[in-house]
Amino acid sequence: MLEVVNLSKHFGGVRAVDELDFRVEAGEIFGLIGPNGSGKSTTVNLIAGIFSPTGGTIVFDGEDITEAPPHVTLHAGIARTFQNIRLFNNMTVWENLWVAQNSAEQKRTGNPLARWMGGSRRAAAAVEEYLDFSNLAHKRDELAGNLAFGEQRRLEVARALAAQPKFLLLDEPAAGMNLEEVKELDERLRVLRDRGVTILLVEHVMELVMEVTDRIAVLNFGRKIAEGTPSEVQQNQAVKDAYLGAGEGGADA
Amino acid sequence: MDDHVITVLNNIGGFSFIALSAYLLLLSGEISFGQQAFYGIGAYASGMMTAMFGLSFWLALPLAMIVSGLAAAAVGGLTLRLRGLYFAIATLAFAETVRLILVATTWQVEVDGEPVGPNGSEGLGNIRWGFDNEYEPVDFLWMIYGTLGIVLLLFFLMERSRLGSIIRTIGADRLLAETQGIAVTRYKILVAGLAGALAAIGGAFYAHIQTTVYPENFDVMLGVHSLAYGLIGGLGTAVGPILGVLLDVGFLEAVEWIQGYRMIVFGGLVAVLLIFMPRGILDERRIHRLRTALRGRRQARTHGAAGA
Repeated sequence: MLEVVNLSKHFGGVRAVDELDFRVEAGEIFGLIGPNGSGKSTTVNLIAGIFSPTGGTIVFDGEDITEAPPHVTLHAGIARTFQNIRLFNNMTVWENLWVAQNSAEQKRTGNPLARWMGGSRRAAAAVEEYLDFSNLAHKRDELAGNLAFGEQRRLEVARALAAQPKFLLLDEPAAGMNLEEVKELDERLRVLRDRGVTILLVEHVMELVMEVTDRIAVLNFGRKIAEGTPSEVQQNQAVKDAYLGAGEGGADA
Repeated sequence: MDDHVITVLNNIGGFSFIALSAYLLLLSGEISFGQQAFYGIGAYASGMMTAMFGLSFWLALPLAMIVSGLAAAAVGGLTLRLRGLYFAIATLAFAETVRLILVATTWQVEVDGEPVGPNGSEGLGNIRWGFDNEYEPVDFLWMIYGTLGIVLLLFFLMERSRLGSIIRTIGADRLLAETQGIAVTRYKILVAGLAGALAAIGGAFYAHIQTTVYPENFDVMLGVHSLAYGLIGGLGTAVGPILGVLLDVGFLEAVEWIQGYRMIVFGGLVAVLLIFMPRGILDERRIHRLRTALRGRRQARTHGAAGA
């Protein structure tokens, strides 16, 4: 479904991503892990179209999206969340979802402006569905900026879903969550996979990654050092060295 | 109503259009110091059409809006890549260019044996449409507030529409808006064009009330004021910039004892507000609280009615 070939991104002399290859199959949850600064978020930004790569190609659903800007990748079916929560803080929870949902609506109807707020029953009904799915229905009229941290994370995921993507890029969705919240997230991701959404999960929280993913690629200094099932990756010596050598996350892995 | 009150009210109405113009751009995240150019283009274009070519004001007004809107969209397209301060500088430079072109332009035709048309720094005079049709200032009052009412209604509709939420999302976080599937550049040009057309309405009324307009009327102070109106009144609702105009023109200009100190008081007001209320008096949060409170009351009433 997503094929990344020989992908590189250099910032000056820094090779944030270096000749990276991986492939995400339709219907799987694919993990992307690695020590801090190993190029995970850069990879997400390259796929989402926020950065333009130095070299390599990204093919999604048979379509070359290497140079596609963010609004084009979204309409191609890729939605994302941000590592640092990024919401429209001065808009309500409902409006945040409504805006995202309408992008999908626009694609379907081809008319960007004819949808009055709340005017489209289908759009409003879909927003309700995502509110329920994320357990945020009781907060619908709250400003997004006033939500608690965990709620904001849930809203980010819900918003990405509201675009009705085929492919979801999740950039550390479990960061700062307690164990219970991580379990909830785990369940939600499985539900999504069962609904046919393919997921690329960038995550530091190993309890989540090792539980929920089908396959994992491990990055270090922008390069892929291992790929396989969670148990294969856990046994991999290069991975152990990378985490211990980096001096971080070793205990998690 | 005495003439002074009518004049003040007409000024409030006229400035409201350019304040809304700057407000619309502020919503989309752009600070323009150049909206006076489109106010000026609206004034000159409509004035020339009625004075030189005998068009009705009601035809000249939409035509001037189109001229100004297209010019603004073109400027918007050229400055797309500029952000923040650089955009502000570019708009200011454009507005000054327009003003200087008006100073340098003389083009007169003969109407009833008199030369009529833009005459450099002497301005464009003889805009007699109101006079010829025996319009009193009070008639202009109705015209201005009627038009303002329509514009405000359109604003309220827009703010509840997808277009409104798109403009706000672009203003709040451009990159996030893009990742929501919004083709930001297209909307930026659209907003610039709409804002240009809006400012032209104010300019057209101004020209036909004053009957003579000068390039110096459209200097940078007008642009600074129109920006400040939204920032004072608040960016949460289209009523905000009008509140800003009311405070400035209605209060500071009308109250005699402030007269000599008007700019000092105004500048101080802007500075204090920017520190304590960076998005104005009626900002998004206050508007949200207000809406929630109103909805709560409405719901309570319906529930009460259902119970009874």
